[in-house]
Amino acid sequence: MGSLTDQLASLVEDADVVLLFSPSTSFYTRFEEMGSAAVVVAAENAVDAEEFVELPLPFENVRDRIRFGIEGAMDADLVDEGDEVVCVVSIFGDATDAVVRVGVDSTIHTGIYDLFVNSRADPGVIRDVFEVAIELGQKGQKGKPVGALFVVGDAGKVMNKSRSLSYNPFEKSHVYVGDPIVNVMLKEFSRLDGAFIVSDSGKIVSAYRYLEPAAEGVDIPKGLGARHMAGGAITRDTNAIAIVLSESDGLVRAFKGGRLILEVDPEEY
Amino acid sequence: MTGCASWVAILPAVSNDLGAASVPSSAASDVLGAVPERLWVALLVLVLGLVSAVIVGILSRRLLTRAGVPEAIEGTAFERTAREFDTSTVAIIAKLSAYFIVAVAVVVALTVAEVDFVDRFWENVATFVPRLFIALLVIIVGIVVGDKAELLVAERLRGVKLPEVGLLPTIVKYSIVYVAALLALGQVGVETLALIILLAAYALAVVVLLALATKDLLAAAAAGLFLLLRQPYGIGDEVRVAGQRGIVQEVDLFVTRIETDGEEHILPNHAVFRDGIVRIRE
Repeated sequence: MGSLTDQLASLVEDADVVLLFSPSTSFYTRFEEMGSAAVVVAAENAVDAEEFVELPLPFENVRDRIRFGIEGAMDADLVDEGDEVVCVVSIFGDATDAVVRVGVDSTIHTGIYDLFVNSRADPGVIRDVFEVAIELGQKGQKGKPVGALFVVGDAGKVMNKSRSLSYNPFEKSHVYVGDPIVNVMLKEFSRLDGAFIVSDSGKIVSAYRYLEPAAEGVDIPKGLGARHMAGGAITRDTNAIAIVLSESDGLVRAFKGGRLILEVDPEEY
Repeated sequence: MTGCASWVAILPAVSNDLGAASVPSSAASDVLGAVPERLWVALLVLVLGLVSAVIVGILSRRLLTRAGVPEAIEGTAFERTAREFDTSTVAIIAKLSAYFIVAVAVVVALTVAEVDFVDRFWENVATFVPRLFIALLVIIVGIVVGDKAELLVAERLRGVKLPEVGLLPTIVKYSIVYVAALLALGQVGVETLALIILLAAYALAVVVLLALATKDLLAAAAAGLFLLLRQPYGIGDEVRVAGQRGIVQEVDLFVTRIETDGEEHILPNHAVFRDGIVRIRE
């Protein structure tokens, strides 16, 4: 066994920073006693770590989770470009079971962290919209797959760059994403054509909106439909972000600044 | 309380029964007859009192537990102190009510037994015991509610990272304990006028300070309520308020956010209301 440990020791050799993803309290205390710098990445700071990055979604895709953690740590100046980062994560089940070594360079920066934290809308609102879209993707509407387009943040500008397809069901209402009844309501309204518009604070401003952005310079993969194009384009024209549930492949995609930032498979949650 | 009233009502009937029963027995009745009848009744009352005290103690403990009191007061300082002495708030209250019944039973028994020499003393005690009981209960409830309120307020304020905020839960707690102490002292007949004046002054100061401090917020909230209900303008409308022209981004209870190129104006809602709104339609 000694030789195996020796072999694998190179994996953690000269690491600049250690990222602990959702560590248990005992695991973290052992780390703390060792005196090495460890950044905790988790949904909440249950271990009272000094250096902490909040994880808004429990990314099932480990690459996304690690990217989010590293970008968050870079944003807080805990990690710099050129650092060697060792990530302690759990892939199967809840217990910590994997060590991943990542060299931080410019390619790691995809903007996942930026999408959640530096958008106009509150991170909690973006998380709630993600959850709604994921749930909609899992269950569909009456068993059939549905598509949906949520434009989150910068609602005033988005409203001015879109027009109503029909009467707005959310007119003079005070419905916020994250309210308990909203998921059901949105599921019913997802039958409607057009986009949902959500304000910075999470108020659902309108459904049934036809987006009219200028579509030049939108860089999204070929093969995605009109819904994705409209969603991607509006994020280029305004400071909003778009969260799109595809009807054809059932994936949830997030756009910001006209770029595809994140792709999530609802079936994995 | 209603229980002891009904015992008193059945007492004459009981004493008659005892009297009738004691007639046929011969030798034993001489010994028993030496003891006055009313002493027997007093003894009976005492025994009944003890039995009902035990029952009331158990019942109140179960009722309180069933009502979810232990969970509700979990973690309060009083409960923790009680736990240190291997008891709990519920047990203390149950015991208190049991002792109260015993005390009442003793008083009733003594009255029935017509113990003359301590008559006046017991008369005072008879009126004082229920009051003392209520005072103790009020104090315990006050302390527990105060602790609980402190915990709740502290919980709500946890998000606010200000050291001074730590004072607020303590103030809330001691205010409640103070009021409870006032009530308890009033029960046992202590003159509390000065303390009540102090409380009034304190309450007035709090109200005046709050009104002063939140004057603008209240005005904004009142205007915001109207704006939210009637929605004279909505998100996406272009408006001019107080000389600021822009697109409405957000309306909440206190403020309206209006944005123009790169500038976001956050206007208190009462300013919107006072100065009027211009909706711009092309």
